[in-house]
Amino acid sequence: MAQKLNVLLLDDEPIVGRRLKPAVEKIGCEVEVFEDPKSALNRIEEKTFDIVVTDIRMDDIDGIEVLERVKKRSPRTKVIMITGYAMMALAREAMEKGAYDFIAKPFTPEELRKAIAKAAQALGVAVSEGNE
Amino acid sequence: MTIIAISSESYRRGREIGEKTAKKLGYRYLDREIIEHVAEKSGISREKLIKALDKTPSVLGMSQREQTLYLAHMEQAVVEEFLKDNVVCHGMAAHLYVLGVSHVLKVRILCPQEDLVREIAEGKNLSGEALQRALKRFENFRRRWSLKAFSVDETDPGCYDMVISLNKIETGEAVNSIVEAAGYKKFKAMSYSIKCLRDEEIASRARTILLPRFPDAKVRASGSTIVVETKGMKREKRRKSEMIKEMAGKIDGVKYVEVHVVNDIFRQAAQSFR
Repeated sequence: MAQKLNVLLLDDEPIVGRRLKPAVEKIGCEVEVFEDPKSALNRIEEKTFDIVVTDIRMDDIDGIEVLERVKKRSPRTKVIMITGYAMMALAREAMEKGAYDFIAKPFTPEELRKAIAKAAQALGVAVSEGNE
Repeated sequence: MTIIAISSESYRRGREIGEKTAKKLGYRYLDREIIEHVAEKSGISREKLIKALDKTPSVLGMSQREQTLYLAHMEQAVVEEFLKDNVVCHGMAAHLYVLGVSHVLKVRILCPQEDLVREIAEGKNLSGEALQRALKRFENFRRRWSLKAFSVDETDPGCYDMVISLNKIETGEAVNSIVEAAGYKKFKAMSYSIKCLRDEEIASRARTILLPRFPDAKVRASGSTIVVETKGMKREKRRKSEMIKEMAGKIDGVKYVEVHVVNDIFRQAAQSFR
């Protein structure tokens, strides 16, 4: 049986999680969705995820801090950053701090699936990109 | 992977560093040889394309419209190569149109005066004040050229990730520094930076199609949408907009075309005085 990837999805906009969860599940991932960064970080302390997808601009805790905490807890975890405020400096900062990928909003579910499939491949797990 | 764009005060030294860097990294090397391919594809002569890179527009020579079109053709070819990844590009003004692409490492090479003298005063017997004036003219010319062509001052160090002075650093050391920097995580390609490069490729392709008909068109792209801004008078606004939409809509990868025709105030003023 194929290995299931554990994905944590964090975005303070509820619509993002609602829309992306089924899209990512479609390629055989188990997805946990969070809107509050604190709850997401608590969950990350409890469980090791294969892939974390996080928004960058959020109240209280931003995505860069989430990235740093994830990499400290589990260097193997691939972190994909998503943001509506994409700029070269921010993209470079995220990559320097260990992000696996950086995607500018708006993006299609297919684009995220592609990024997840690439991250899965880097982890040695094969998933289909689920193109419709 | 990372792309390296090198801009150098001296063509010879920039080429030498570019070739050595490419060899060390196992990357392809891109330089003016690509002009042959652009000439063949666009039907524009090689001489005209080189002129667009080396000269500023003038009343008796190449017009601003011609230069913009020639540069768009070359930009499209270069960005197309960048999308294939693993490339070191020297010159071709590449550092000016991929400024916002995070996985392009932009390097500026400053050269010893004797190298510049060799290139500027080739075949001329210049010395003393005349030579200094020629060097100053050359520096001012490059600044003027880049500002006119891309609204960016290429002599501004802020445009680059790395500035290397060959007055203090040997060629081999410069190559090693570039190779090391190319390995930094921050210069790695990601979905966002690849998208920026794709957007630039579509925009430059649209420019090559629209500029012969609409020389003042400014084109931006985001995904499959392109935004075109041009000038027009009252009655022609709608016609222009429709024509642009029709022409740009046929471009491969374009799904939506947004056109803004702004008032051509100079033509309007000229008409009102008639």
